[in-house]
Amino acid sequence: MKPAPFDYYAPDTLSDVVALLQRLENDDIDAKVLAGGQSLLPMLSLRVARPEALVDLRKLADLNYIREEGDTLAIGAMTTKSAVEDSPLVQRRQPLLHAATRLVGHRQIRNRGSFGGSFTQADPASEYPAAAIALDMELKVVGPDGERRVAAQDFFITYMTTDLDTTEVLTEIRVPALPAGTGWSFQEIARRHGDFAMAGVAVTLRVENGVCRAPRIVAFGVGATALRLPEAEQVVDGKALDSALFQEAGHAGAAALEEPSSDVHASADYRRQLVAVLVARGLAEAVARSAA
Amino acid sequence: MTTDMNNSLYELPTESPRFVGQQVRRIEDPALVSGSVEFIDNVTLPGMLHAAILRCPHPHARIVSIDTTAARQLPGVVAVLTGEDVKRWCNPVVTAPEGWGAYCLAVDKARFVGEPVMAIAATDRYIAEDACELVEVEYEVLPAVPDAPAAIAADSPLLFENQNSNVMLQRVYDWGEVEPLFERADHIVRETFRWNRVGANPMETFGCISQWNLADNSLTCRGSYQTPSFMVLGRSASLNLPSNKVRIIAHPHGGSFGGKGGPRGTDISALLSRKAGGRPVKYIEDRAEYLLAGGGQSWDRYYEAALAVMADGTVTGLKVKLLDDQGAGAEGYGTISVAKPLAAFTGPYRIQAAQYDLTVVATNRAPTFAYRGYGPPPHNLVLETLMDSAARELGIDSAEIRRRNYIQPEQFPYTIPSGNEYDSGNYPEVLARALQMADYEALRAQQQTARDEGRYLGIGVVSTVEPGVFDWNAYRTAGVQGVGVPEGARVNFDMLGQVTVTVGFALEGQGQYTVAAQVVADYFGLEMDAVRVVCASSDAAPPHFGPGGSRVGVALTGAVLGACHKIAEKFRRVGAVLLQCEPDDLELAGGAVRMRERPEAQLGLADLAGTMLARSDLLPPDMDPHPGATHVWTPPGRTEPDEQGRCKSYLTAANATHVVLVEVDPDTGVTEILKYVIVDDCGTRLNPANVEGQVQGGVAQGVGAALLEQYVYTEDGQPLVSTFADYLMPTLHEVPITQKGAVVTPSPFTPLGAKGCGEGSIHITPAAVICAINDALQPLGVKVRETPASPSRIWNLIREAGT
Amino acid sequence: MTTRHQISVTVNGVNYQREVDARLTLADFVRHDLSLGGTHVGCEHGVCGACTILVNGASMRSCLMLAVQADGAELTTVEGLSRNGELHPVQQAFIDRHGLQCGFCTPGFLISTAELLQGNPNPSDDEIADALGGHLCRCTGYQSILESVQLAAQMMREGTIVDAASPAEA
Ligand SMILES: Cc1cc2nc3c(=O)[nH]c(=O)nc-3n(C[C@H](O)[C@H](O)[C@H](O)COP(=O)(O)OP(=O)(O)OC[C@H]3O[C@@H](n4cnc5c(N)ncnc54)[C@H](O)[C@@H]3O)c2cc1C
Ligand code: FES
Ligand code: FES
Repeated sequence: MKPAPFDYYAPDTLSDVVALLQRLENDDIDAKVLAGGQSLLPMLSLRVARPEALVDLRKLADLNYIREEGDTLAIGAMTTKSAVEDSPLVQRRQPLLHAATRLVGHRQIRNRGSFGGSFTQADPASEYPAAAIALDMELKVVGPDGERRVAAQDFFITYMTTDLDTTEVLTEIRVPALPAGTGWSFQEIARRHGDFAMAGVAVTLRVENGVCRAPRIVAFGVGATALRLPEAEQVVDGKALDSALFQEAGHAGAAALEEPSSDVHASADYRRQLVAVLVARGLAEAVARSAA
Repeated sequence: MTTDMNNSLYELPTESPRFVGQQVRRIEDPALVSGSVEFIDNVTLPGMLHAAILRCPHPHARIVSIDTTAARQLPGVVAVLTGEDVKRWCNPVVTAPEGWGAYCLAVDKARFVGEPVMAIAATDRYIAEDACELVEVEYEVLPAVPDAPAAIAADSPLLFENQNSNVMLQRVYDWGEVEPLFERADHIVRETFRWNRVGANPMETFGCISQWNLADNSLTCRGSYQTPSFMVLGRSASLNLPSNKVRIIAHPHGGSFGGKGGPRGTDISALLSRKAGGRPVKYIEDRAEYLLAGGGQSWDRYYEAALAVMADGTVTGLKVKLLDDQGAGAEGYGTISVAKPLAAFTGPYRIQAAQYDLTVVATNRAPTFAYRGYGPPPHNLVLETLMDSAARELGIDSAEIRRRNYIQPEQFPYTIPSGNEYDSGNYPEVLARALQMADYEALRAQQQTARDEGRYLGIGVVSTVEPGVFDWNAYRTAGVQGVGVPEGARVNFDMLGQVTVTVGFALEGQGQYTVAAQVVADYFGLEMDAVRVVCASSDAAPPHFGPGGSRVGVALTGAVLGACHKIAEKFRRVGAVLLQCEPDDLELAGGAVRMRERPEAQLGLADLAGTMLARSDLLPPDMDPHPGATHVWTPPGRTEPDEQGRCKSYLTAANATHVVLVEVDPDTGVTEILKYVIVDDCGTRLNPANVEGQVQGGVAQGVGAALLEQYVYTEDGQPLVSTFADYLMPTLHEVPITQKGAVVTPSPFTPLGAKGCGEGSIHITPAAVICAINDALQPLGVKVRETPASPSRIWNLIREAGT
Repeated sequence: MTTRHQISVTVNGVNYQREVDARLTLADFVRHDLSLGGTHVGCEHGVCGACTILVNGASMRSCLMLAVQADGAELTTVEGLSRNGELHPVQQAFIDRHGLQCGFCTPGFLISTAELLQGNPNPSDDEIADALGGHLCRCTGYQSILESVQLAAQMMREGTIVDAASPAEA
């Protein structure tokens, strides 16, 4: 189980990285960006990924930061997941993101894996794309034509595929502040602690005068990408809250799923069931956490 | 003196041992925690090459052609091996029943995904793997036999054309008059069960370095071998070498649990070495290879079983029908796993008669091997599930029905219907302790309260017998050629009074070297650090078998005690010369030989050993001047199997009761273990920490089998498990912290009264967890009848029941 | 063709300069190029944790890094835990509490435990599970590992070696 041969580059600056990616593309060389390697290395060793060249971002120290920009948290793509996990700023300002981070693999994986790498990897069972959609994150991408910003909702195209071009680099993830009083929940069921989830749900909402406002319900592990469940959201939006309604929302969300994935760990039907259950539980928890 | 010598042969000469029976630190550990142990992949030999193996992607395929031209041209490639070479030089493995063995590389056709098809030795593993990708193999895909039911279908394709079916073994064992018992029974409870394949998965995969000496046509293999003596015999047979020209050097290994040894990997690397002009060739199986095709997949079974029960809860008869899938040919002694249940077929119960209707088949799944427990764990699950079903049908508590049926303490030694003899035990006491530790009544009350709240708690109370210290007679009935299982130890003093114990098996984790050191230190009144334990290569070691069948703790104790006894005799004779008295006037005590009547007249062991080694001229010429001895211990009293396979096969019968509390979430099917209590009786506990470690390790593997682990195959016979993201072993989060208690009923038949306990809880945990889950699910009217009880499987049951 | 690279790494305080293939994993580099065989390899795809080492003080899977990525880094392997022939309290605690059987997984557990206790001298059971949940052990069933970590924490807090397994006490 050893990687096939490849060329390796570790440019010093972001612009060098982008220039190199463009040159390799022009030369028709299949190149891949390497960040923490926690997804890429297993694929290389199993020889299911066989890029001809790797372009390592490890020297881009300036992509490693967590900072407040007004109400928004800006997180550099090369920040490790542990740094996100340990950040008091994240814990205080974005508890959902903190909770999601703690469910990503194990500490040793988070010590190495970059924050940005999970967005670009776009594993449909990963916690981060769901958190990104639930929290309405914005992704900053730099390529040969300069910088552009993409809403999380538009970034994840399908299974392991994003809006990113092969010559582009994800540089920053921007997490806008949640309106005051927002309740949240992050739920998942995995075969073992630390495994990719069989299914999971992220929920945010506000409660005003006993009525649910602006619910966002995102499911992951059940389709080609993390996806919002508008059918579930509609059930609770503007309604007075009770547990029967939560369950109804769960069923509505589950019913609306196109054929969920099926694998050795869980059948499609079972995944649908988990979504129904987790939506209901997530709503209940989010309501309990909301400040109203 | 000489008369009571034999009685004391397997006893310590002290009433108050300082180490035996104590929780001493293991002598193995300082090196292990320092990272300085020579696991096989840490070894590099001059000129060494690295092997990679190309494996078949199809369950069943004829090999039309292999083109290795491009691979040979890759710089760094030194040798290439194909089925043609193997056909010329080798024989099929001897570890399968006659006619069901395969060659180390597929010859003409491959029978499972992952079967080695060709192999390459190169200057490093990266290049060897590159080269494998350059090989072109043309396959003609054949219809596959994906599972056991398919194997016995009328039109099933044949795996082995020289056989006229895929059935390797089919027979019905009848032990006593079982039919009349079923006719007379007040109740008959029946169960079906599907046990899916699990496997050993030690953290270190198999590895070896083979070197073929072309000058004298001899072979040396270093590697992670669990059973070196068998590897010698096996290589001799498969590679056509005289057995004294095969030398196995066993390295410490990172766990084994039965399957470690890699006959194919060894033969492939040996032949590559032969083709590479005798350069050593290392082969390290990687995890994907292990999961696809490595030695460790076990127990792929379909059960139908029934219990005859009287109105008062007395269980009288047991019928078990088993369809067992051995995969592509049982090359790893897999068939033994259907024979071993005979050693404890009726568990801890006084069941009068039993029937075993056995069909063993070959399929296009990976061949099966030994795995810890070696067959009984699924059998115990079936028996214990039946006991619970009987309890439920009769309205008796599940602990109570077991209590009513136990073999009683005064009935030992007790011969069970399938022929084995249990040495000793106190099953009611073990149960009572377990129930008390668990506060069983409170648990039942808690369960009731939870049920009233709509929660599903379940309790498993399960008892099993773990047969220990096997002999090969037990397995003849499964078509396996047996050889003896001696265990030898050589104990030598050097001239400074330090001791080296030489054994024939390598470290693999159970702490047996520590046990040997405990025994020697107590025997001679030494400190434990005066004793070193080493493993010799197969040609230099005393006769040995090594770990397996919960035997080596007991067997090694016997061997070491026997050797110590012989040395003590020598010391007495030499001491008598030096102190000018009779040997019988002398006794061994406090690290010296001294006169019984005049204890101040004594000689230290270093003085004695020093004299023997340096001044043997002082001793009479007919006196053996070697301060060392070898002793070989073999379990006494084993018998030949009769026509129904009945024999005394295992020397000891350890017993345990587990009480487990689980909660099942009916909405998600997720099971959580809330409490886990264990009481076991494995006789004298030579090192209680070792025993507890074996017990707890077995819990982890049992929880894995019950809830998580499965080698999944598609309906076409394609394996879906090739990484640790698919084969789920429990972590610190999934294994319960257990409360443990002990009852000690020494074995009357073994040195120091210890019983085999190495397999530990794997015998019982799967049954305990599944019984607890079924207890939880009872109000929902569903029952788990397939392992593992994964969330999705449990939820499906609940859904199908429409509750 | 794979490129070759000159790298400089400090392992257990010793600096090494080597030329390596781009595709060489850090685990293979440490084990075979530097002959530090205490770091074990159980899966090579990041799940078992046997290959865990400290990279600039943080525990990581050495099978999921390339050797070139460690250029300029400070690594600690199990061989670097002991000082002047004296075992690290974590190593001693694993011996005392029988936290190992075959010992193959152990170096990984020791490394992650050392990291945990460095930042958290008094971890709860949940915190221990969180730090070690990414390590597989097929032998022990983890209970003795958990106890070993608790003992190590106690030893490090008290600055003592607790004689926990002496026969006299048992
Ligand atoms: C045992 C184990 C368990 C895991 N469990 C989970 C889990 O439960 N949940 C989960 O979400 N993940 C899990 N992971 C995956 C882990 O979180 C990875 O760290 C993450 O998916 C990728 O981050 P990385 O920095 O390692 O990226 P890499 O592996 O380096 O790269 C991943 C992909 O993203 C691309 N890429 C990376 N960074 C950039 C960038 N800045 N710009 C452009 N492209 C980029 C790469 O080209 C590659 O295609 C697990 C991994 C392991 C080994
Ligand atoms: S070898 Fe690195 S995690 Fe298993
Ligand atoms: S001690 Fe053997 S794997 Fe942990």
